[in-house]
Amino acid sequence: MASSEDNPSEHHNAETLSIDAGGTLTDTFLMDSNGEFTVGKAKTTPDDESRGFIKSSRDALDSWDLDVDDAFPNLVSTVYSGTAMLNRLVERESEVDVGVLTTGGMEDTLRMGRGRQSYTGFSYSDRLHVNTHKHPEPLIPRNRIRGVRERIDVKGNELIPLEEYEDDIREGVNDLLDQGVDEIAVMFLHSYQEDRHEQRTKEVAEEVIEERDADTTVMLSSEYYPTLKELPRLNTLVAEAFAAEPSRQQLTRVQESVDDHGGEVGVRVMASHGGTIDIYANELARTLISGPIGGMIGANYFGKELGYENLVCTDIGGTSFDMGIIIDNDWKIDYSPEMARLLLSLPMVNMDSVGSGTGSYVRVNPTFDKIELGPESAGDQVGVCATETDVETVTVTDCHVALGWIDPENFLGGDMPISREVAEEAIKEQVADKLDMGVYEAAEGVIKILENKLQNDLEAVVTGEGYAPSNFKCLSYGGGGPVHTAGYTENLGFDEVLIPEWAAGFSAFGCGAADYEYRYDQTTSIDIDAGLSMEEAAKTAGEELTQVWKNLEGKVEDEFAKSDIGLDEVEFQYNILGQYQGQLNSIDIRSPVDRVDTPEKLEELIDTFEEGYRRQYSEEARSPELGHTITQASVRGVRDVVKPEIPTEGLQGSEPPEDAYKESREAYWDGVWIETDVYDLHALNPGNELSGPAVLEGEATTYIVPPDYETSLDEHRVHHLTREE
Amino acid sequence: MPESYPREIIEDLVDDNLEWSELHNMMSDFKDADRFKKVRDVLQDRVDWDDPIVIPYADHLYVVAKSEDRWVIKCDCGHEFCEHDENWKHDALINVRDTEQEYLEIYPEDMHPHPDYMELREYFCPGCKTLLEVTNVMPGYPIIHEFEPDIETFYGDWIDEPIPTPDTQSA
Repeated sequence: MASSEDNPSEHHNAETLSIDAGGTLTDTFLMDSNGEFTVGKAKTTPDDESRGFIKSSRDALDSWDLDVDDAFPNLVSTVYSGTAMLNRLVERESEVDVGVLTTGGMEDTLRMGRGRQSYTGFSYSDRLHVNTHKHPEPLIPRNRIRGVRERIDVKGNELIPLEEYEDDIREGVNDLLDQGVDEIAVMFLHSYQEDRHEQRTKEVAEEVIEERDADTTVMLSSEYYPTLKELPRLNTLVAEAFAAEPSRQQLTRVQESVDDHGGEVGVRVMASHGGTIDIYANELARTLISGPIGGMIGANYFGKELGYENLVCTDIGGTSFDMGIIIDNDWKIDYSPEMARLLLSLPMVNMDSVGSGTGSYVRVNPTFDKIELGPESAGDQVGVCATETDVETVTVTDCHVALGWIDPENFLGGDMPISREVAEEAIKEQVADKLDMGVYEAAEGVIKILENKLQNDLEAVVTGEGYAPSNFKCLSYGGGGPVHTAGYTENLGFDEVLIPEWAAGFSAFGCGAADYEYRYDQTTSIDIDAGLSMEEAAKTAGEELTQVWKNLEGKVEDEFAKSDIGLDEVEFQYNILGQYQGQLNSIDIRSPVDRVDTPEKLEELIDTFEEGYRRQYSEEARSPELGHTITQASVRGVRDVVKPEIPTEGLQGSEPPEDAYKESREAYWDGVWIETDVYDLHALNPGNELSGPAVLEGEATTYIVPPDYETSLDEHRVHHLTREE
Repeated sequence: MPESYPREIIEDLVDDNLEWSELHNMMSDFKDADRFKKVRDVLQDRVDWDDPIVIPYADHLYVVAKSEDRWVIKCDCGHEFCEHDENWKHDALINVRDTEQEYLEIYPEDMHPHPDYMELREYFCPGCKTLLEVTNVMPGYPIIHEFEPDIETFYGDWIDEPIPTPDTQSA
């Protein structure tokens, strides 16, 4: 399989292992202490994922002449991610049966959903048109949802006492047990403010379960996701029971197989909030999402190490273009992401994603005689040029192959047979002839359309948030990134454009760089009235927020305790969502202090909020005379892990070494064929400079330097792409 | 995207028998070039009369060609209403619900509009007595004319085909 260099006799010390168990294939990514990597593949084995995992690892290690028993004892970091969890949600099928107890009258919450759920996850045009909207199938059928009469209001006051209606709980639990449920999820309105009804329900339910000698567990929304909005809260709790818990057993087996082969490392799972968590962690549903955020974590680590504070991260794969922003070495959090067409209540690293990638289908819209891309794609099936697949529609990659940008002999290190003739024939038939154009003209048109689209999307993400691209370095990675980087960054005015040599493995690199991190959030409604003195405010609001933080801290501590990690190793961070009283939206503020029960500390927090508000909106928009409200409190606990090394090498001359030059071939640039030099991406030396047109071929990616562009490799093996003046 | 769907799929589309995912794909894709013609053929095969369908007009109703330049609105039972640019509702059987009692025949209590503000007009085919249309309007509101098709423009400028005539149909 592919690896970053070909000399197997050299000794490799595999340190970082990232596994991605997809629906069909399990990919393994191993990186050694020199930053060199190897990739393996094997069929996913859903009944016992550890078998596919070991096979895939063997495949990867094969090119280093190592076996798992040699390599595993040296591992310092192992991160697992799989799609089994997400598949249960997407397919609405699980091994476990889940029942729900909810506030009487709210039994149809899952079925009614929210308007947004009728189009989340759809393509742009399908979101736009009402006739394509449809509410998704709820996770739990109506007959397994029972109401309990009770009510807590938005301030946490008891309106309808539960004790009058405890029979509702008994009846409901008995009914659910009759239906054979394995888990009972309890979600009452406003339980994030006051959880005693949920707690009491758990006691009563567990009595009934014990009386009947059943093997059913009870989960409370207030224990898992104590946040505002009942639909995402219920969706998330149910996803936890329905999709995440069944995976725990699989993860345990993966851990056992690492142990069996001499590994001494705890398997961690990538979580949506941007850290990795233990396989025994409480909230496993956050590991539902794994893919693109790996790159963000990698980018943040990369930025911290190399001194880049503000980054725009761009990742092109086969199916999508993912974009994210890092400011002051931190990402933004989306508190209500969507997955499998469900709105969830999880903290997730904020990314924008559009459905355009190198595998996007290219079609001519018959109504307007116009080239259109996607939203469907061939994904990892590449395109019609990949003769061993059964793709029939032209993809963007087919166009690259036709234009001579990608070498058919060298695709994925030559592992995938590619035919340029087949690509050209298909482009002619499906695109060029219909538009009365030449094949190459059409292929170049396709690339231009894609790159213009990506450029627009990227501009919208950066300037739409009120930022100027000139304050950012644009980092480009993903297998398809470096082919398009010049195209989609053109005219945007980024401070610099950076392409790490290991772009293709950057997400996996990021997974390996992810710290141990637990994060707990709690919705609050803590008012700091404008008229109060700081002393008064610290005694009321300050005490209250401090207490919430302490509770969350306790939860984070408990999680770390499961992995035998002591408090002295953990760095805590404290966040709030804050707003001026009466506003609708809150802003995310990282607190400079861990307690706010004294006037000085509270003032520091408020000053930080004012500064954040000024930066995000403007000085004129500040309105401290309205008073403040804290709508959410969060605690993050972070423990460092050993991270993949970023290479550092001595600078050499600007002239590339002779053995880096591979050949020259004709490639099509702006309507003309130009003899273009081709280099081995991995054989270049730090300090080397190249002028376009040039093609730099790596094992799993091709980096394109168009005419009028220059690239230089720095001492960390990162390319800097610039446009000639 | 197929340029053309097999007839079975179009029949399922007309009968609303497609799975949501199939229907969604059809809606999201570029429109198949011969969709109109295929739908019209399916509908034509299902009626017992020979007048060529020019366009489907509403549920159960079609505009059919009586000659080269005369088109009428016709029910699938064979009843002919009026010229294609007139309001067929003027020729329909009409039931008006404008009292509490009449509303309660079809609505649960307290769930219907107030009869002083809104009346329900139900239009039936005089031939087969099928309920063809219901409108809910203020008392005194004129009978709504939903749709006046511009047949020449549709055939000439949009789909670029000759308008069906009784002669081409039998040929």
